Amino acid sequence: MTSIGTGYDLSASTYSPDGRIFQVEYAAKAVENSGTAIGLRVKGGVVLAVEKLVHSKLLVPGANRRIQTIDKHIGMATSGLLADGRHMANRGRDEAASYREVYNSPSPLKIIVDRLGLYAQAYTVYSSVRPFGLSTILGAVDKDGPQLYVIEPSGVFFGYRGAAVGKGRQLAKTELEKLQIGELTMRQAVKEAARIIYLVHEDAKEKEFELEMSWIGDETGGVHLPIPKELQQEAEAAAKASIEVFE
Amino acid sequence: MEILSYLNACGGHRLLTRIPPSFDMSVPSVHLASGFDFSNQIRNNFLAERGIPLPKATSTGTTIVGCLFKDGIVLGADTRATEGDIVADKNCEKIHYITENIRCCGAGTAADTEFTTAMISSNMELHALWTGRKPRVVTAMTMLKQTLFKYQGQIGAALVLGGVDSAGPHLFTIHPHGSTDKLPFVTMGSGSLAAMAVFESGWKPNMDRAEALQLVKDAIFAGIFNDLGSGSNVDACIITATSTEMLRNVEMPNQRAEKENKYEFKRGTTAWKKEEVRSLITSEQVTLIGVGDESMDTS
Amino acid sequence: MNVHNEIQHLKSGEVNLGTSIMAVQFAGGVIIGADSRTTTGSYIANRVTDKLTHVHDLIYCCRSGSAADTQAIADMVHYYLQMYTQSAGERPSVQVAASLFQKLCYENKDALSAGIIVAGWDKEVGPSVYNIPVGGGMFRQPWAIGGSGSTYVYGYCDSTYREGWGRDETIEFVKNTLALAMSRDGSSGGVIRMCVITEDGVERLFVPGNELPKFWEGKDLPGLVRLAKGTDIVPMAVEV
Repeated sequence: MTSIGTGYDLSASTYSPDGRIFQVEYAAKAVENSGTAIGLRVKGGVVLAVEKLVHSKLLVPGANRRIQTIDKHIGMATSGLLADGRHMANRGRDEAASYREVYNSPSPLKIIVDRLGLYAQAYTVYSSVRPFGLSTILGAVDKDGPQLYVIEPSGVFFGYRGAAVGKGRQLAKTELEKLQIGELTMRQAVKEAARIIYLVHEDAKEKEFELEMSWIGDETGGVHLPIPKELQQEAEAAAKASIEVFE
Repeated sequence: MEILSYLNACGGHRLLTRIPPSFDMSVPSVHLASGFDFSNQIRNNFLAERGIPLPKATSTGTTIVGCLFKDGIVLGADTRATEGDIVADKNCEKIHYITENIRCCGAGTAADTEFTTAMISSNMELHALWTGRKPRVVTAMTMLKQTLFKYQGQIGAALVLGGVDSAGPHLFTIHPHGSTDKLPFVTMGSGSLAAMAVFESGWKPNMDRAEALQLVKDAIFAGIFNDLGSGSNVDACIITATSTEMLRNVEMPNQRAEKENKYEFKRGTTAWKKEEVRSLITSEQVTLIGVGDESMDTS
Repeated sequence: MNVHNEIQHLKSGEVNLGTSIMAVQFAGGVIIGADSRTTTGSYIANRVTDKLTHVHDLIYCCRSGSAADTQAIADMVHYYLQMYTQSAGERPSVQVAASLFQKLCYENKDALSAGIIVAGWDKEVGPSVYNIPVGGGMFRQPWAIGGSGSTYVYGYCDSTYREGWGRDETIEFVKNTLALAMSRDGSSGGVIRMCVITEDGVERLFVPGNELPKFWEGKDLPGLVRLAKGTDIVPMAVEV
């Protein structure tokens, strides 16, 4: 950390002499400390899953959700600062609503990601604000089929078949790469997602966590919905079993 | 072409100095009553009831035309300007400059055609400078139609726009509400029906310059001679890819003939008995006040 | 189509839309058509008007009502669709174009007199026709007619239209409907302009005013007896 004390990390509007924006890099660090979030783009739709770390036993189960709905057909999973995630989701909802207002039809995910990317980028060029401590996974089924994107704190975004962000992203990505992602059904994808989240959590030997999952696609009629209770329980049981076998 | 549009004496409302009811009527108020005053409306309704309706908007008197030919566009116009039924100007100019390669004939309210074409001319010059390209006729047409549409017909300009640009010759009519038509021959103004009759019977594709000019002259003549609102001389403008010729007063069919008689009386026709010449010069004594040695007391 | 719409503003209720326009979808595309008359009161300001207006590569609109209003609206939609194409990186759907028209027509309904039919082809649903009548509603229909001339031919359309027609049958349907409308409606007339919009592009068709399809136009005066050559006409005898 040779940068510490040089002063170049005090504002997002100043480059370091070697051309870096430290505030943006620190924002990425904020994501690395947060629970893992993954997304799978499969044949009939998209599955999102989040490892939500529970820092107090007093919390009500299901509190502080990190998967949110942007529009009927768009879901969003965030990793990083929870409050930033909710702000980003609100912005996404505004963009999706304004698209509907003008064109009277559901927006393609690309448009929303494009605008949220621009929004995130704007927070990296002013000294009066800090960049979002957030990596955002967006999933949707639009007129061109299932879509999956990740927006980074810098504002850049990419489209993926499988995406992982947060603390356990490395292991999660390795697991995702092993899958024949295009061949999975949505139900299979839910089980794989649950397994991967349990696996990366086990690997880190962290405190308690809650598995939060949602999907959009043929199984839901193109609407973003939580995974039904039975399927969620089934997937979690299978995930736990696979971990025990692994051990 | 109508010089003046009606003052809004016939219109809805105006701001007015009114005496508040509680005020002493012997002293005129210096205060303005707040808000709009609709008393004119009441007056107008009263007058209408008594059989004095609002004055009708006078139909505009002009003949303007445009005609496509082999090498470009010929525009034509009469030169009469009217105020009601009075001829206000016997030789006005109705073909306005937009750019070197674009001209615009105006019918309707004279001030409106004058100012809108001047404004668009100015904006076209700036646009050409900004883009670094030769101005196009559609650009002028779009600017004009958007201006006129914005004012919802309140700007009484009926235009014939013509010119030659990189895409070839173009001829448009633009109506006061902002609608446009693109045609090979067009007419506008109160003489448009007479002029259109000439075009409909005489126009053919690929005419040469002389034929087209003659047809345009004939169309304007039709307006001058058959329409009360049109008269005096013919102006024409020939625009081709390489040149623009403004033919001012190319025909003058209404020159005043030499008077056959003189109405002067011979000296001594009337006898007189007495002659008196008075001086019309008066002199005044002016006493200057406050200008002297005494300086003002400023203590 | 009127150049002026003062009359409509002055007269409450009575709206004069002098036009006959039409759009019909078929398996491979849509056929749109219109007459060519533009009037200023009783004067025909343009007898060869093109009321089929391009708003995007494969999306056109048929305009009826005030010429100024509909041109202004079509220009705006044309602009929005260009912006859409740049930002979305693909062609807009007909539904998107129709929604833009509808938004403009509904939100400014007090200031406009415009009845518009939007038609075209897109990769989402193929051919489609949207009707946007004067109040600013939006309705998807297999066929739509509009303008003052349309009132005369609703019955003809209802009784003639069949699903599953091909391109040529649809063209004939549009041509005949418009010819009938133009013959009964004084504010419609001139020539018939048509466009065939398919995935591959737009083809323009033109029917001159002297080649319009003819229908029954009456024969002689009813009850008039034609006399054979050489017959003497004798005044009727009057009994005193």
